[in-house]
Parts: sequence; C-alpha cells; structure tokens
Amino acid sequence: VIRKLLTVVDEIVAEPGAGPAQPVRRAAAAAVVTNPWAGAGLVDDLQPGVERLAPEVAVALTDRLAAALGGADAIEAFGKAALVGTDGEIEHGAALIHTPWFGDVVRQALDGTSIIVFSDARGPAGTSLVVPVWHKTAAATRSYYQTVEVRVPDAPRPDEIVLVCAAATGGRPLARIGDRSTDTATVRLEDHRP
Amino acid sequence: VNVRKIVTVVEETLSEGGRPVEPVHRVAIVLAVIENPWAGQGFVEDLAPLIDEVAPELGELLADRTMEALGGPAEAYGKAGIVGLAGELEHASGLIHTLKFGNFFRTAANATTLLPAVEKVAPAGAAFDIPMKHVTDYTIRSHHQSVTVAVPDAPRADELVIGLAAANRGRPQERLAPLSTEL
Repeated sequence: VIRKLLTVVDEIVAEPGAGPAQPVRRAAAAAVVTNPWAGAGLVDDLQPGVERLAPEVAVALTDRLAAALGGADAIEAFGKAALVGTDGEIEHGAALIHTPWFGDVVRQALDGTSIIVFSDARGPAGTSLVVPVWHKTAAATRSYYQTVEVRVPDAPRPDEIVLVCAAATGGRPLARIGDRSTDTATVRLEDHRP
Repeated sequence: VNVRKIVTVVEETLSEGGRPVEPVHRVAIVLAVIENPWAGQGFVEDLAPLIDEVAPELGELLADRTMEALGGPAEAYGKAGIVGLAGELEHASGLIHTLKFGNFFRTAANATTLLPAVEKVAPAGAAFDIPMKHVTDYTIRSHHQSVTVAVPDAPRADELVIGLAAANRGRPQERLAPLSTEL
C-alpha cells in the first residue's frame, strides 16, 4: 500500500542571532500512497478506502516518529497533514486524516488526547508542506505552537497522496510570549481601527 | 565548530515501478548546519588551519549519526557541502575533500572508495542531490544513485551545510548489465 516513507528529524541547537537554545527535536514522517479514488470520478462513499488505508498508514507513521524521537513518552506535541496529487480531490486527503481511522490511531500510539492540528494542500511532486503541531494533551499551550516542514522530492505523483504525521519533543526553542494565563491586556478591535 | 541545527532524513522505498522492493531500499542522510568558519574574513589564502580543526569534528559527528540512522551496513555512500551566499565554493570543498573528514565515514562504513560529492553555493532551501557509489568498488553500476534533500532555512548566507548519505543497497529495481559486459 505504501510506496515510500520519508522521516525527517530537525534537531535545533541554536537560533539565528540568539545563540544556543533549549535543544528541541522535531520530526515528520511522510507516507506516499496511491490515491484509492483517483480516476474514479466523484465517489460518494469514501469510507471503505479510509478503513482500508488510514489505520495502516497511521501505524507506520507513528512507529517512525516514536523510533526517531525516543518513544511516545518523549513526544509532547503532534500534528498531521495530507498533500494530494494533482489528479485528486482535497476531500480525498481530508478523508484519510480527519477520521478516527487515522486520528485515534495517532492519539493512542503517541499517548495523546488533544484534537490534532493539521494542514492540507494539493500540488506536484516535491511540494513542501508546513505541518503544524501543538501539545498532545493541552492544545492551547502557546509555547508549543510550531511547525515542521517536510518534502518528498518525487511525490505525490498525480494519482498519489502524501500523508504526514509530525511531532516534537518540546515547545519552541526560545518561547517567551507568555500564555493565556499571563495575558493581562484587554485587546479591543475598535481601538485598532484607523 | 558552531552547529545551529542537525537534520536527519531516512527514506524507505517499499515499491518502485509497481513492484515490491525487497529488501526495502533505505537511504539515511545527516546534514549539519554550521557557521562558515571563514565567514567575514575576506579571501583567506590558507584554509588548512581551520580545515584541520573543523573537518575531523564534523566527520566523526556525521559518520556516527549516518550509520545509526541507516541502522545496518552501508553499501553505497556519498557526501555534500553547500555554501551560503556570502561564502566561497572552496569553503565547503575544503571541509569535505580531506581524509580528515572522510576517513571517519570510511571506517564506520567498512569502506575503501572515494566518496562522491555535491558541492555548490546556494540560498537557504535549495535542493541538492547527493551522489552515492559502492563503498568498496566504484565501478559497481547497480549502486550508482543519488538522493535529493533540502533544508528549508539553511544555509543562511554565512553558513555551510555539510552532510553524508548512505544507502543499504543498490537502486530499488536495479537490473542493468554490469560494466564488465561492455568492456
């Protein structure tokens, strides 16, 4: 089912202009699959394809993230994405990542409870995807808002889909913008209209 | 050496041309984003002192990580040196075209051949193709291959991206006649 898997791990040691940072590792695992609905016209019931494909891919991706980052315990944030080849519908990518057949597998594999933040797009092979991640049990934790960029040079072909699961071992390297609990200002739209 | 970031990529090809690839074709690439040791110094005539200092440190770090990421014996290997726009092509070449860099990888991979390389000056995010050849016999045609990688935010103008790549086998569906059949 999977043609190719690509796993990228970014280990951030320092930030430009700021010097050494709290080391953080971010990873994305991408799986290239044939779009089960490519060339079939408008398919009303996507469920059979979802059940056949999404859990298997979610297992392969989370296995690789856990191996790359030191296990589910080391992973604190997660996210997901779909990149549909140029002959497919965005709905095809959505079907494969936005149901329990993918999301629940990811949550169980990585020991999370949050809703999983995502991105999706359609494009040619080599399109770069910016995949958001946030905290796996406390989605509103601001210091964890970040992204992982991933690109598979030869995918997706027009009849393929690239499915991605991303994760991080911590928040942003030099997070210092507070959180909901420390926001004291009341910001009103009318004060900012010219 | 001032390292900003280390990027590890593992590519696994399970199917090619509609047929399974067995064993799965694996390539591991490890890239270090470092400050260009000659940044801001104008034209430096003698690169040797900093080569002697930086190349072994990088060579050891990258060789160990690449073999660990591959997770098994390497049959093909290669290297890369990408220079940020404020630097000189010779800066990356200086760090990778020396035994003081490559011998760590050669030892770790039980290899004997010269490491094929890509070198270029490029902006951050530029894709580059790392060539790989067989680790003990560069005439083995089945193992001629390359792998494409890019680091979205590197090299910045005064940085270098220095990397190694290793593959666990020849091309996914290699089936060409060996060189010897044409001689």
